[in-house]
Amino acid sequence: MSLVHERTSQFFERTKRERRQIVTPEGVPIPVTLADHSERFTAFAIDWVIWTLATIAIYLPLILVGVFSGFTLIAITVALFIAFIIRNVYFIYFETAWRGSTPGKRIVGIRVIDRAGGPLLPSAVIARNFTREVEMFIPLGILMSGGKSGGTVDLEQLSIAVWLVFFAVLPLINRDRMRGGDLIAGTMVIALPKLVLLGDLVEGAVQFAFTEPQLRAYGAFELQVLEELLRRPPTLTGAQVLRDVCDKICHKIGWTSPVPQNQVVAFLRDFYTAERAFLEREQLYGKARADKFAEPRPRA
Amino acid sequence: MTAIIDATDERLSAASAAARTQIVLKSSEFRQGREEGWRELETLVLRFERRGVRSLSLDELQRLPILYRAALSSLAVARTIALDRNLLVYLENLALRAFLVVYGPRISPLEGLTSYFRRDLPAAVRAARWHVVIATVILAVGIAAGFMLTSQDESWFSSMIPSALAGGRGPSSTRSDLLNHEIFAPWQPAEAFGTFAGMLFNHNTAVGILMFGLGLAAGVPTVLLWLYNGLMLGAFLALHYNRSLTLDFIGWTSIHGTTELAALMLFAAGGLVIAEKMLFPGPYTRVENLALQGRQAAQIAVGGVLMLFVAAFLEGMFRQLVQSTPLRLTIGITVGVLWIVYFSFSGREARR
Repeated sequence: MSLVHERTSQFFERTKRERRQIVTPEGVPIPVTLADHSERFTAFAIDWVIWTLATIAIYLPLILVGVFSGFTLIAITVALFIAFIIRNVYFIYFETAWRGSTPGKRIVGIRVIDRAGGPLLPSAVIARNFTREVEMFIPLGILMSGGKSGGTVDLEQLSIAVWLVFFAVLPLINRDRMRGGDLIAGTMVIALPKLVLLGDLVEGAVQFAFTEPQLRAYGAFELQVLEELLRRPPTLTGAQVLRDVCDKICHKIGWTSPVPQNQVVAFLRDFYTAERAFLEREQLYGKARADKFAEPRPRA
Repeated sequence: MTAIIDATDERLSAASAAARTQIVLKSSEFRQGREEGWRELETLVLRFERRGVRSLSLDELQRLPILYRAALSSLAVARTIALDRNLLVYLENLALRAFLVVYGPRISPLEGLTSYFRRDLPAAVRAARWHVVIATVILAVGIAAGFMLTSQDESWFSSMIPSALAGGRGPSSTRSDLLNHEIFAPWQPAEAFGTFAGMLFNHNTAVGILMFGLGLAAGVPTVLLWLYNGLMLGAFLALHYNRSLTLDFIGWTSIHGTTELAALMLFAAGGLVIAEKMLFPGPYTRVENLALQGRQAAQIAVGGVLMLFVAAFLEGMFRQLVQSTPLRLTIGITVGVLWIVYFSFSGREARR
């Protein structure tokens, strides 16, 4: 019934989040949600700020040393080489030590995982990060420092520009939203929020009792929608929604006695309990019912 | 009065509806039994995620895989018997987070980096040795052709090499021109700022990247670009040979040139590897084969990128300091030999 609860999530969230499935080494399939493009971009921007600040902090003393000692070229060379080292070591260190997460990714709540459901190998982390040099930084450098000369260099600059655009667009055109580095290393970036376990909604002692034909009216999808509505904190509009839901249910199952306003929540919770007990039992006997339109339909 | 009734009791009369009846669900009992274990796992996982492996004691580390497997089995059972959406979503999330903790990288970043450079990278280059051989042959052919053409007739130089790269050198340069303005040109402090970028993000780098990426086009652009590179190199050699400056020229370029040439060689070999995977996919489709084997080609490109940075670094460090040809040659040849030794022998003794 995992598909039902995904359907319910989609119903409430109104946006379709891309899901994939990985199989753990124990053989249990777990669904994962791919990270949005905006999330990945934000995480990268945060990381960019952090590593740029670190690089500047290291540049300044070096440049001062260089200017005062006269070995300016050497100082500049070392400084620029250090920029390359820092940005790669930053990503490689954090993605290995924090199991696929960097400070930027952690703030946004996304992670890098192995696509096949295996462990995230350090060689994969290294490959996926150094590839960024070829995808982005070196072409950018070439484009920015070229353009002074004419002739065949124009064709070269054009090819490099096409290369850059292609890799920038690659995550948008492939199904698993993989960057060039992800493709090479066999990794995937997923969104990983921290979820909490809320209390069981099932009431121990129930006040309202329902017959089996009444409980046959609905299926698992409706049950989970009801659960979500009941779990929401009480608000004014929420109370109105619950009232409407209560009326609809009473109408559908043929509950004739009116439900007073102060007993709406109790009624819905009792109905939820009975319905869930009934559907779980049916499911155990192999007669799972996805929603109210699925077989077996209640006899009219 | 309360009576514990199994949920199967269907005939609830109106009379008993007035009394509070108790309904007990199997999924609730299941949850009550296992919830403590999940909470414990959640605490441990949270602590691990926040502060790393050191924040857990030895006992807790030993509990972790047990709790993880218990959570997985709970998830499998819950999927079958429970319809509580919050529970299912929570268990999936917990199982995933625990999976990432239990199966995360097991070695430190430093160890990962050193083992990558000691074993994986040289092994990847060694695995492509025939491609490297072919690339060497192509380069040699290019250099020979360029050299022979230009040493006979220097107007070939102007037609082969675009003016941007020639930088004022050409058939009209005299020996003293080249000696004073190129090979032993005094270093200008003012040019320091643009220089590293100029050293790294130059024509050769662009050619390298294109050779690698365009391996997708069955390697034809790769071979052509590499041949052209060889031609240009041969032409430059001939220009200096005709003015008896061969050794000085080689010395002048060799400090960074050996590394840069080796880097370009790796890019060419990488492009040929891609071409081979595309042209001969075996039992897979071309795209599948590339995805499977692409990692090998990418490792080679990573090696090439690193060498380019090292080449720019070497040029920056030594250009200012070293002005004598024998010294330049020594440094250049030493560096070249070191690269060859590294790629040929490093990591070979390690047997997995």
